[in-house]
Amino acid sequence: MKKIAYILLTFLVIVLSCKNDDGGTPEPTFGTLALDFKNTINATGIELGTDSYTNASNEVYTISELKYIISNIVLIKANGEEFVYPVDRSYFLINEEVVASKKINLADISSGEYTKIKFGFGVDQSKYPLNGMTNFIPTAEESGMLWSWSAGYKFIKFEGSYTVNGGTPADFLIHVGSHGTTLDNYKEITLDLPTALTITESASPEVAINVDIAKIFDGINTHSLVTKSDVQVDPVNAPLIAENITAMFTVTAVSN
Amino acid sequence: MKIFSYIVIILIGASCSSDKEDYVPIENAALQFTVPANFPEPSYNVSLNPPTEKGFELGKKLFYDGRLSSDGVISCGFCHIQDFAFTHHTHIVSHGVGGALGTRNAQPLHNMAFMKEFTWDGAARHLDLQPIIPITAEVEMNETFSGIVKKLEDQPEYVKLFAEAFEDQKINPDNILKALSQFMIMMISANTKYDKIERNEGSVFTQEEASGFELFKSKCASCHQGTLFTDQSYRNNGLAIDPQYNDIGRNRVTGLAEDLHKFKVPSLRNIELTFPYMHDGRLKTLNDVLDHYSDGVVNSETLEPTFKRQDGTLGIPMTAEEKLQIIAFLKTLTDDDFLNDDRFSEF
Repeated sequence: MKKIAYILLTFLVIVLSCKNDDGGTPEPTFGTLALDFKNTINATGIELGTDSYTNASNEVYTISELKYIISNIVLIKANGEEFVYPVDRSYFLINEEVVASKKINLADISSGEYTKIKFGFGVDQSKYPLNGMTNFIPTAEESGMLWSWSAGYKFIKFEGSYTVNGGTPADFLIHVGSHGTTLDNYKEITLDLPTALTITESASPEVAINVDIAKIFDGINTHSLVTKSDVQVDPVNAPLIAENITAMFTVTAVSN
Repeated sequence: MKIFSYIVIILIGASCSSDKEDYVPIENAALQFTVPANFPEPSYNVSLNPPTEKGFELGKKLFYDGRLSSDGVISCGFCHIQDFAFTHHTHIVSHGVGGALGTRNAQPLHNMAFMKEFTWDGAARHLDLQPIIPITAEVEMNETFSGIVKKLEDQPEYVKLFAEAFEDQKINPDNILKALSQFMIMMISANTKYDKIERNEGSVFTQEEASGFELFKSKCASCHQGTLFTDQSYRNNGLAIDPQYNDIGRNRVTGLAEDLHKFKVPSLRNIELTFPYMHDGRLKTLNDVLDHYSDGVVNSETLEPTFKRQDGTLGIPMTAEEKLQIIAFLKTLTDDDFLNDDRFSEF
């Protein structure tokens, strides 16, 4: 039965390849897109290790490590029509330390005009089949984004040190991910584009995304490091921080 | 059917004058995944990773291959030995690379397709993800997936097997995990004396086993439920905290105080052979286990509520005779066909 299916498939491919170009609907075309992620605090690019920042709880912090996973990119047209980037190729690690990682290059995007972009923060572990999700493991393990005791990814790794009122510096560590079936911190984020994005065969458009890192502490919720400086498997604080993260992305410019 | 395919071939030949060679599909027969008559529907969506001859063969090869560990020695099969229902026989906790010791007792592997979550605390929510834990854990196989892919790419027999087993022919983590799952979901243990009785295949309990079964139903089956002998929940069964490990159990996964010291209710199939018992292998015999339930239960915030009796005592009351009867029943859950099934054997 399978053999026949193969033969039929081969047949179909040959027939299609022999078809004449005799008008009808135009062939769909595809283009590229680059997404530029810029991690900022107070609208200025962050400096790992050196610059210090103050959060709303009056805690002064420096950042030693900032990494997060972006996945499941979707472009949306004004009429709501979606172009879903192939899910198995749609896992990206943004690492503040690695300049190249902050520019996501996408290819084979269906030509057209798009007004919104949707993506995932982290990895959606609730959906099966896994859609190539585990093929991201090598990237994640190289950058310490895999839990050692659990089968899953750290969605964000945000570490550094902080002081309060000029006291002795202490380390902070924020790792947010999904665990088991009870704690799911995967978030879907939809952003409006300030101007329409046009994908064509010939152009190389870019979308600039500002990521306001200060929002991790002070967004929808306020997180004080004095209250909790080590957030890992945390059913209380991790979901609040994940909620903050959903509001830290904005599209600042579209260049077609 | 054959005539039909001949016609198709002629049509292809006639449709365009291509000089391409005839497409020869790789022979990779589907394997029959059969749910035993007395079993529930599987949790694993078999249609999304249908086991095939080559996928199973590849999964088995990977399962028994030390290349999956950093020292080239520790395979999955090292701690999961078939003769003991795929447990690490007599080892209290699992052993890893360089003589490293884990903190938990290796669980048996059988009927994995019917389980919803994996490991003692449910840290893996899908069978395809479970092997990530032992493979990457420092005290177990201590390897990376990029390391494994590299090692396998150097082996012509693996290059061939992956190409035969998977449509995209790639050696990648997805296919490694899918192959391991294909091997594991086929590991069904459902041919015990108990099964034959449940399916009315002519077997009968001895009087002692029958009494044991009645006792089991009233004293154990609220957690060790159904034909899988587990309700797949997490519970604190009153073990004293071992200061050496201080294992917080399910709490590690959920972070919830209410899950402190809770562990997965294990299946009791093949329990006769999977000693030592409990998540840390602290109890050597089935008798020790029943003694724990009758006299050893320690109180704590999260203790399984059914162990707190009206009169203030803890545990499950059982006489010595009742224990012997329950053990006699538990031994009817041993599946010799499964333990000796060549399909799953290393050699």
